[in-house]
Amino acid sequence: MMELVSFLAVGTGLLVLLLVAMRRQPSHAAGSAGELVTAKRTLESLQVGLLPAELVEQVFGRQDLAYISSIGSNKLTNLFMSERKRLALIWISQIRKQVRALKDFHVSRSRMFTHMSRWREFSIALDFAGLEIRCRVLQFLMQWRGPYAAPDFARRTALTAGRLCSILDQSLAFLTPGIPAQLGSESGADGTTL
Amino acid sequence: MIAKAKRADVLAASEDLRRRTLPYTSGSLDRLIYLASMRDYNTGLYVHQGLAARFSPEVACEALADCHQESFQELTSLQLKDLAEQLELYMRSTGTAPGDFVRAWKDLAPYRVAVPVGTDSLLAEFLFSNLKIALAILEQRHSPILEPTPAA
Repeated sequence: MMELVSFLAVGTGLLVLLLVAMRRQPSHAAGSAGELVTAKRTLESLQVGLLPAELVEQVFGRQDLAYISSIGSNKLTNLFMSERKRLALIWISQIRKQVRALKDFHVSRSRMFTHMSRWREFSIALDFAGLEIRCRVLQFLMQWRGPYAAPDFARRTALTAGRLCSILDQSLAFLTPGIPAQLGSESGADGTTL
Repeated sequence: MIAKAKRADVLAASEDLRRRTLPYTSGSLDRLIYLASMRDYNTGLYVHQGLAARFSPEVACEALADCHQESFQELTSLQLKDLAEQLELYMRSTGTAPGDFVRAWKDLAPYRVAVPVGTDSLLAEFLFSNLKIALAILEQRHSPILEPTPAA
């Protein structure tokens, strides 16, 4: 009798778990299209707006600093340093924000659309964690020692973020339609690409 | 096919603008300000009577937007030294007295409304920040009183 009761209890438990799992499945699919597009935009904004090597070089390169120093005015040098510090901090905080958004998206949605090996998943998780630590360290260094505290570290952080973006880009590749080159180069009246 | 034909029109209009109008500007900052002034504040559309008469208002609008974007990219790629020169050139082209120019630009920051639509916020902030420094350089250049050197 006891065996029958425990057997029924285990069976009922499994059935409940199955029902819960079935109910959860559609909610993942529903509403995910918007999140996919948002993730794709976040990725593009990182790749196009924040990580290009030219921009990183302009913010952290020393040519402008050399020019300002050659003028020999403390007032100008202080203004330049405070402006560059402000820009560098905006840059790093935007990268942190976007990377965090991508991580949340990857954890909750992206993994369901792509088949990834456990090793790959682990490697991406390590990359996200590493990038978060790098960003925090960079933010601290910039706050403490100014925009030129660790330019090489900033460049390497941008490269790491770029590498992670291209990995995630592959998992969202199905969102990029095969637009012919001629149509892709069309631009709208406001200068946006059509 | 229609899109392709339209694009050819836009390219021709942009070329026309680059050949006939833009060479008369003093530099890339002057071009940016000029092209931004062609944009209607209420609609965001660019208006150029002559270009619209030769092509069409839509084509003229797209051509102006393309050239505006181009001059913005040109400016953001400049080093601070070159940007300061551009600002100096622009100031001279307006014929305004340096003191008045610096004061007006510091108070009004007109460059903030001169960026093309859809510009990345960090890139725009980068240009604003560099222009702010370039303005301080200009102010120092034209200041009659030299800054006192700090005591050792």
